[in-house]
Amino acid sequence: MSSTTKASNVSAEGTGGEAVDRRVFVGAAMGAVGVCYLAAIGYPVYRYLASPVERAEAQAAVTEVTLPEAHKLPRKSALMFKFGPFTALLIHHEDGTWSAFNAKCTHLGCTVKYEPHNNRIFCECHGGIYDARSGANTGGPPPRPLQVYQVKVSETGVVVSKS
Amino acid sequence: MNYPFWDVPHIGSGWVIGIIAIFHVMISHFAVGGGFYLVLAERKALRENRQDWLEILRGHSKFFLILTGVFGAASGVGIWFAIGLAHPEATSTLIHNFVFGWAIEWVFFIVELTTAAVYYYTYGRVSNELHLKVGWLYAAASLLTLVIINGILTFMLTPGQAWLNHALSGREADFFWQAFFNPTYWPSLVLRTLVCVSLAGIWALVTCSRLDGETHGNLKTELVRWSSKWLIPSFFLMPFVMVWYLLSVPETQRELLKLGISTIGSGAFTQVTRVGLVIIMASATIVLVVYFLAWRSPKDFTFSHAVSVLLLGLVATGAGEYTRETLRKPYVVGQHMYSNGVRVKWVEKYNKEGYLKHSPWVRQDPSLPPAMAVGEAMFRGQCMSCHTRDAYRSMERLLAGRNRESIGNVLKILHENGEPYRRYMPPLVGTAEEIKALGDYLAAMVAPKTNAAPAALAARP
Amino acid sequence: MASLYGWLDERLGLEELLEFARHKTVPVHKHTFWYYWGGISLFFFIVQLFTGVLLLVYYRPGPEAYDSVRQITYDINFGWLIRSTHSWAANLMLVAIFVHMFSVFFMKAYRKPREFGWWSGLVLLLMTMLFGFSGYLLPMDELAYFATKIGLEMPEKIPWIGPKIASLLRGGLEVNEFTVQRFFALHVVILPLAFLPLLGFHLWLVQKHGNAVPPSEEAKPVEQRRTMPFFPNFLAKDLAMWLIALNVLAVLAALFPWQLGEQADPTKAPPPGIHPEWYFMSMFYVLELFQGTWGLAVSMGIFTLGLVLWTLIPFYDPDSRNGKRARQATWFGLVVVLILTATTILGYWGVYGKGH
Repeated sequence: MSSTTKASNVSAEGTGGEAVDRRVFVGAAMGAVGVCYLAAIGYPVYRYLASPVERAEAQAAVTEVTLPEAHKLPRKSALMFKFGPFTALLIHHEDGTWSAFNAKCTHLGCTVKYEPHNNRIFCECHGGIYDARSGANTGGPPPRPLQVYQVKVSETGVVVSKS
Repeated sequence: MNYPFWDVPHIGSGWVIGIIAIFHVMISHFAVGGGFYLVLAERKALRENRQDWLEILRGHSKFFLILTGVFGAASGVGIWFAIGLAHPEATSTLIHNFVFGWAIEWVFFIVELTTAAVYYYTYGRVSNELHLKVGWLYAAASLLTLVIINGILTFMLTPGQAWLNHALSGREADFFWQAFFNPTYWPSLVLRTLVCVSLAGIWALVTCSRLDGETHGNLKTELVRWSSKWLIPSFFLMPFVMVWYLLSVPETQRELLKLGISTIGSGAFTQVTRVGLVIIMASATIVLVVYFLAWRSPKDFTFSHAVSVLLLGLVATGAGEYTRETLRKPYVVGQHMYSNGVRVKWVEKYNKEGYLKHSPWVRQDPSLPPAMAVGEAMFRGQCMSCHTRDAYRSMERLLAGRNRESIGNVLKILHENGEPYRRYMPPLVGTAEEIKALGDYLAAMVAPKTNAAPAALAARP
Repeated sequence: MASLYGWLDERLGLEELLEFARHKTVPVHKHTFWYYWGGISLFFFIVQLFTGVLLLVYYRPGPEAYDSVRQITYDINFGWLIRSTHSWAANLMLVAIFVHMFSVFFMKAYRKPREFGWWSGLVLLLMTMLFGFSGYLLPMDELAYFATKIGLEMPEKIPWIGPKIASLLRGGLEVNEFTVQRFFALHVVILPLAFLPLLGFHLWLVQKHGNAVPPSEEAKPVEQRRTMPFFPNFLAKDLAMWLIALNVLAVLAALFPWQLGEQADPTKAPPPGIHPEWYFMSMFYVLELFQGTWGLAVSMGIFTLGLVLWTLIPFYDPDSRNGKRARQATWFGLVVVLILTATTILGYWGVYGKGH
């Protein structure tokens, strides 16, 4: 309230206390409208920035991925693919069996790779070693085994699903 | 002569109603709230013996009389003309059902206009008590006009189950009161009353702003602040009443508000929610702008400030009316009549026997070849109550780049209860031949060069 | 609340700032309304910074430009709203700046000692137009592509050095992904870096000299002139104006979302009705109007002369002191407004009026 209107205000009110109360009230009401404004601008901005997060969460809810043509993968080789937002690893072993893992190393989250000559899964970052069939952590720093996925092979492709 | 389907180029007949209605709402709601403003202000001035207040109020009542008596009344009649031309079927339904309601309404109108004139012309010539009584009489009569018309307006959104059960039985008018006090009657009445009170304050600010802050500093401060206070009831109650109103609207119509607000879609898909948000934003802005410009420095509150508040009010009421109208889609009378005049219960019959056979008013254009004329008549009868050829909800834009086959696919969806269009569009009715003719006509209209339009059509402006 | 304020005040000297703001006054007279337009321009610029940074989160310049804008417009939540706001605010910012400039002109606010305010303002306007021009290409849809192509014909016409300048701007002989990359650098790095200090300078000058009053007001004796404190009165009104501006922007951006056309395809013929944005229309029209070498010389001459006269107005309109309005300057301003409006309308008429 400007100094010019203060004088008239006091004379109109009679008491100063009432004017102060009213000023607090009016200020609070305007503040509330201001907060509404900020919320109205903030909500779209938040949703805009959170878009990829929402997409990723929707993808993370994926429980099954179909890989057409993956059944033609030669033995003793591996295929990297996307399981929702995650990188995953499909291995066709020498004896014809299949394994699939989440390729995120349980140590510090690097992406692991399959080494056919050693028949193991190896992490370049800190030398973590996993068993190629079970995903068990057999050497190096990894604290836990790799996350294992279920594999179903058919004539048309490979279906990988969460256990 | 294109009665009863009024072909208004570019804006479409709906916007003719819309423009008149928004203008009318601004003034008619002021007429209701302003009546209370005048008597309450006069009572305050008499109690405190403030001659200077009375002088200002007298000027305000003259402005008020001219605005409501001339522009308010004329635009109200204008709505009648417009709805009769734009939507004869719906207008006829309303008249048949509410003829008695309108009779009551006009009694109150006459009382209202008379007392408003008497109030102004007896200012300072009769005793204060009598003058106040005239004012109260005016305020009551104008509030009653709202009480009546509100029943008819809300009926169009929610006719109520009792009335719907007897629709087309010939006995609908027996359910006058059930239709009148329909599910959205009370929330809408409270909502509109709040708008009336706010608009009374906003229009009063226009009058107060003309005072010279230099010479009448204190008077201007008091009047501007007292007028600003008329926004307080809305400020506190509006959010709750809006929620109450929306909760009274049927679920199917509420769904319209959820259509893709976060996507770029255009048209009825998303427009209604955005316009709905404009109501809230403009209302909040009115409160803040009045606080910053009027409440904080009333002496410097100028006419242009007042006009900007008034324009914000226009935006808010305009958005409100648009949202209310759009929420009704695909009906013009909820669950009973689609927005193109086709009654819900007659869809089957039209599909079997033909739309044009049962629409004696839709004449075929003799200047077109017969097949085209059928399609053109279908277009006028079933599409043009919402769409125009080239501007508002333009068919040319919506169907741009489609060939005959894909236009056929669109019509097929509309005919066979296709999602999601049917949430806000009526079903396309008619026999297979009629729908084919409509497709041919649309294809020729959208792309006259490629789709072999007859010369008569291509030459149209 | 009060103790927190005290704690901050002790360290930051808030009270001094407020005291300064309270002492600063804004003249009150019948033209006060025009004082808000500088603030409104500033508001739209802030909106541009804010929405621009948000767009930067997803925009990818170069060959993927179109695809990333398509993603923003159709995939990302509310991406259409952010983009639409950015585009609309750009146009509104130019409207506000033009209103601001002409109101300053007609109120003769460029007179001594405010010449630098006038000049820095002019440079800011030219920069804003460059902002608009460079930003317009970034989505790389048909409209952007061809409008930029046509727009670059303007520097192309400068004698001798024109073609070279245009090619450098394009990064080739045709508009291509190098052009997008260049314009992107210009739009988000170079221009903001140049704009911000100049804007600071412009605002500092307003602080230093205060608001100018028009000659009609100067004619009044000092005791008859009215002022209001900058804080809180003028600031409160400024805020109200900003809110109204925000409303206008929100309505336009939400109800008329800025559309994305087809991806630009250099091999296709341009769609009909291609034209530069409205703030280049007048220039575009005049260049189209005069054909041939002499015509070019004439149109270039008109522009250069007009711009020079416009810039130097503080020097040849020095005597509108003490309420004596220099009528020549007012007439000159009116002629400029008239020419700009007429050529803009004629330009649109030329684009849309034919064959319709």
